[in-house]
Amino acid sequence: MKEEFLVISDLKKSFGSGEARQEVLRGMDFTVKRGEFCVLLGPSGSGKSTLLNIIGGIDTPDSGFVSINGDKLEDMDEKQLTIYRRKHLGYVFQMYNLIPNLNVKENIEVGAYLSDKPLDVEEVITTLGLQDHKYKYPNQLSGGQQQRVSIGRAVVKNPDILMCDEPTGALDYKTSKEILALIEDCNRKYGSTIIMVTHNEAIKYMADHVIKLRDGVVRHNDINDKKIPASELEW
Amino acid sequence: MRNPLVKRIPKELASDWHKYLVIIIFMVIMIGVISGMYVGHDSMLASIDRGREDLKLEDGSFELKEKASEELLDAISTGKMADVRQYFIDEGFREADEEVEKAIEEELEKQVTSAIEENVRAQCLAMGITDEDMIKAQIDSVMEESYEDALKEARGSDEFKEASDKAYKEAHDAVIEAVDEEWEEISEKYNLNDKGFMPVPVTVYEDFYRNEPEDNDNDGTEDATVRIFSGDAEINLASFNEGRAPEADTEIAIDRMHADNAGVKVGDKITVGGKEFKVVGLLSYVNYLTLHESNTDLMFDAFGFDVAMVTPDAFASFNSRVHYNYSFVYEAEPADKIEKADFSERFLKSLITQTLVHDNEIDDYLPEYLRQASNFARADIDGDSTGTSIFCYILIAVIAFIFAITISNTIDKEASVIGTLRASGYSRRELIVHYMSMPLIVTLIGAVIGNILGYTVFRNAAVALYYNSYSLPECHLVWSRTALIKTTVIPLLLMFFINLFVIARKLQLSPLKFLRHDLTKSRSTKARRLPSWSFLRRFRLRILFQNMPNYAVLVFGVIFIELMMCFAFGLPDSLNHYGDRAPEMVFADYQYMLMGYKDSDGNVIETSEASAEKFSSRTLMYPKNVGSFREGMGSGGDESVTVYGISEGSSYISLPSGIEDGHVYVSTAFSEKFNIKEGSVITLNEEYENKSYDFTVDGVIDYEGGIAAFMGNDSFNSVFGMKTGEFSGYFSRNEIKDIDEQDIAAVITSEDISKVTNQLMHSMGRFIDMFKYALIVLAAALIYLLAKIIIERNERPISMVKILGFKNGEIGSLYIVPTAIVVSICSLIGFVGGYFLMIWIFKAFMLQMDGYFAFFMKPSSMVLSVVYLLVGYLFVSFIDYMRIKKIPMDEALKNVE
Repeated sequence: MKEEFLVISDLKKSFGSGEARQEVLRGMDFTVKRGEFCVLLGPSGSGKSTLLNIIGGIDTPDSGFVSINGDKLEDMDEKQLTIYRRKHLGYVFQMYNLIPNLNVKENIEVGAYLSDKPLDVEEVITTLGLQDHKYKYPNQLSGGQQQRVSIGRAVVKNPDILMCDEPTGALDYKTSKEILALIEDCNRKYGSTIIMVTHNEAIKYMADHVIKLRDGVVRHNDINDKKIPASELEW
Repeated sequence: MRNPLVKRIPKELASDWHKYLVIIIFMVIMIGVISGMYVGHDSMLASIDRGREDLKLEDGSFELKEKASEELLDAISTGKMADVRQYFIDEGFREADEEVEKAIEEELEKQVTSAIEENVRAQCLAMGITDEDMIKAQIDSVMEESYEDALKEARGSDEFKEASDKAYKEAHDAVIEAVDEEWEEISEKYNLNDKGFMPVPVTVYEDFYRNEPEDNDNDGTEDATVRIFSGDAEINLASFNEGRAPEADTEIAIDRMHADNAGVKVGDKITVGGKEFKVVGLLSYVNYLTLHESNTDLMFDAFGFDVAMVTPDAFASFNSRVHYNYSFVYEAEPADKIEKADFSERFLKSLITQTLVHDNEIDDYLPEYLRQASNFARADIDGDSTGTSIFCYILIAVIAFIFAITISNTIDKEASVIGTLRASGYSRRELIVHYMSMPLIVTLIGAVIGNILGYTVFRNAAVALYYNSYSLPECHLVWSRTALIKTTVIPLLLMFFINLFVIARKLQLSPLKFLRHDLTKSRSTKARRLPSWSFLRRFRLRILFQNMPNYAVLVFGVIFIELMMCFAFGLPDSLNHYGDRAPEMVFADYQYMLMGYKDSDGNVIETSEASAEKFSSRTLMYPKNVGSFREGMGSGGDESVTVYGISEGSSYISLPSGIEDGHVYVSTAFSEKFNIKEGSVITLNEEYENKSYDFTVDGVIDYEGGIAAFMGNDSFNSVFGMKTGEFSGYFSRNEIKDIDEQDIAAVITSEDISKVTNQLMHSMGRFIDMFKYALIVLAAALIYLLAKIIIERNERPISMVKILGFKNGEIGSLYIVPTAIVVSICSLIGFVGGYFLMIWIFKAFMLQMDGYFAFFMKPSSMVLSVVYLLVGYLFVSFIDYMRIKKIPMDEALKNVE
């Protein structure tokens, strides 16, 4: 039985004030176990990104709390939150967010630099199939290749949690499946807990844990016992 | 319909107001200062020029040994050359005739007397009279009776006529021979045999003065020399900046600049020539805009020299020597400087000849166009603005590049918007106009506010700066077209073309490329491989490469500012260094220049002072052969060189013995200024004679106090045809008290050298300090703008690495350290380059001036010139760090939703 690693408890968050006030998270509760591949599904405006930002320690809830491995984020000051992101989190974004003036290898080293227990950069490059591109700049790569670099940068840290925000949102079908397979590999190979935000329903079949969000609350919280490999996904 | 993009402009201004504020302030200060300088400059020049008319500035002046007779003044006024040869002949004939007549008369008397005596004796002998007493009595009686008749008869004889004609002729011939010999020499010396000579008629005015000691704090010690003029002068009038002209004999009006330096105010009492006077006015004489005591002074001295006006009676009541100084104004105004020189040369011939034939002597002659005291200020004010406007354009060009980089960055950021607009049908020209409008609007705002401040605050500051240096007349504001062109039109044009070039190039790409954010010209750019340094070092290097254009502008800006720093620190250092070493720069504590080596009784001037040592000196001219960029400065093109004849085994100047004739040693100042080395041959010319001397330089003597050449005294006398035993003055360790003051032309002490630097420091001290602080602000503003662009450009990566867990300190070290390295290296390179460039600029500048002093920077100033800039940078780094800290982490997530 896996332990409860990430706890989200009665999380509320709103933006604006008065009549323009908009409640984005309206009391969200769920837990994620260590090593789990968790998918957060939901349409636009369901609060996925806000939730991800709060879990990532780059935004704060109005009430409720997030705890990782027993540590509540609300008890941490800015410095501790930075250390938290540094030690425990890896990020993969929809738009890759690579540093344009660093080459592939250097972008991956950005992640490695932050970790106490980094993976071998060259090995990660090989795993991601980027050996032939490691001295190229981001603008010399295709979208899929850039997303691979972005995954490499997150994974090389050997993070406890890998946060993926619509990682295939900007990619075509074939590339998307390759990227999902890579994330799946990382989950399996390095044991990272994965929290992936997506609006692609098909992805839920490869996850251990599927949480469906709508209007700021959890509508479904399902454990998937029959997950299939990414390569077999269809949409 | 108006282009809707226009609406973006005020929003853009508001959203990035700090940046635009810094740029506008930068421009306002630059343009304001330049506009102020120009308006102040043009107003001041206009006031000076008007003063030249209104205050009846002379066309030149001359000083005579004796007061001129009416006949001499009338003759000078005609501008005609006197027939000096005829004058000499007439004078010679008159003297010769007198002598011949006297001689003939004596001879005739002798012969008649002797003939009568002989005759009487003969008659007495015939008559058998032998008694001598009787014979003498007979002679006396005949003498009384027929001497006159005999004399008359003798005078009428042909023999007499023949003899006297012969005597006169011989005497006249001797006179003509002597005159022709002398005339040949004189006419050659002053080029008087000018067949095509055209007279230059002038009006001559008396402008007599006396030099008196001034004790402005009444403590019994002399503080300055004051040149006193009578209040009834009709030429070279004064304007009163404060108070009025003296009306009572105990009242005086003194120069305003000197009063300012000495702390004398209207109403104060000062002692002049031992008498107490009440200061009733502060004035500016049109011919003493700078207080040059002598035209050959390297610098004016508003501390130790003063000019003043007293009533005619008060003027007459002094006991000192009256300087019979006359000013003249040409009847026909010369058209230009060349004609001025020609008029002056012709007038000088008239003056020399007329003075000679009227038994007077010229002590001094100075055409106005070479007069430092009336031209130095104007030339200096004129020269100021050129340097300042170049400084301004360089900075505006730097700003224009900053703008271009910012806009090019904005275009990168707005690539998809631009792509969409282009795809929707907006033309490239419309977008160029749009992106160009911001720099032009900001420049225009800067120019308008800058010009308003220029015509008010900065103009007053500029005028105050001039007033702080010179004795100028009151300044009236004039409209300056140059200011408008240089402060508004040129900056706008600079901004327009630099931005047009960069923006037009940037917007050349196709709409599709913009839509795809693919703004590089080609994808195949090779990635630069870096050595396997630490990750952070490589990261920083990547930032450096990414921002090369920014750093290029930064490098240029920092080096330029560092050059200015070298100037700001080096100029006062050089002056102080020169001033501090003044005591080493005189050969002796006292150097007495005598009027002649004999006194009025014809005795050689000697002293009992044990340390006194004779020397000879002569001023010759060394041709500079350089175009002057500061007209009206110096002695009109050639450098005056003092040639010294030094006694053998001198205890003041150690000159090797046995220097051959035609060989000299030169001072270090002479050697450095004109690059004269051992073995060089120099040609020195007489100033007013067509005579030159070639000397071989045997070595350099360590003397920085002046442009000088040295030779042995004997050699000096033989080269310049001096009499044996002739000399020019004494060097002495102690004051010489037993030489009559009438025989002393000048005494030179170390104070005479330090007065130059004191005056310069007083004129420029405040300005230099202000300049240093302005440079720090400029450097900080420049670095601020460029560093801001670098950080703005990297906002997303910074936000990204923040999310990844980089600490603010680490991000700071990534994005600030490269700038710090560039700034530090550039400051050092800029300093070294600036230092050597200043040495060169200083030397080139000195070539335009008379005299020499080298560029010098104290080690502490060297350090400070770099530290000042780094302090400015430190301040900017702090702002940068705060800026990095403020970048939100959701910047990287913006396009997620």
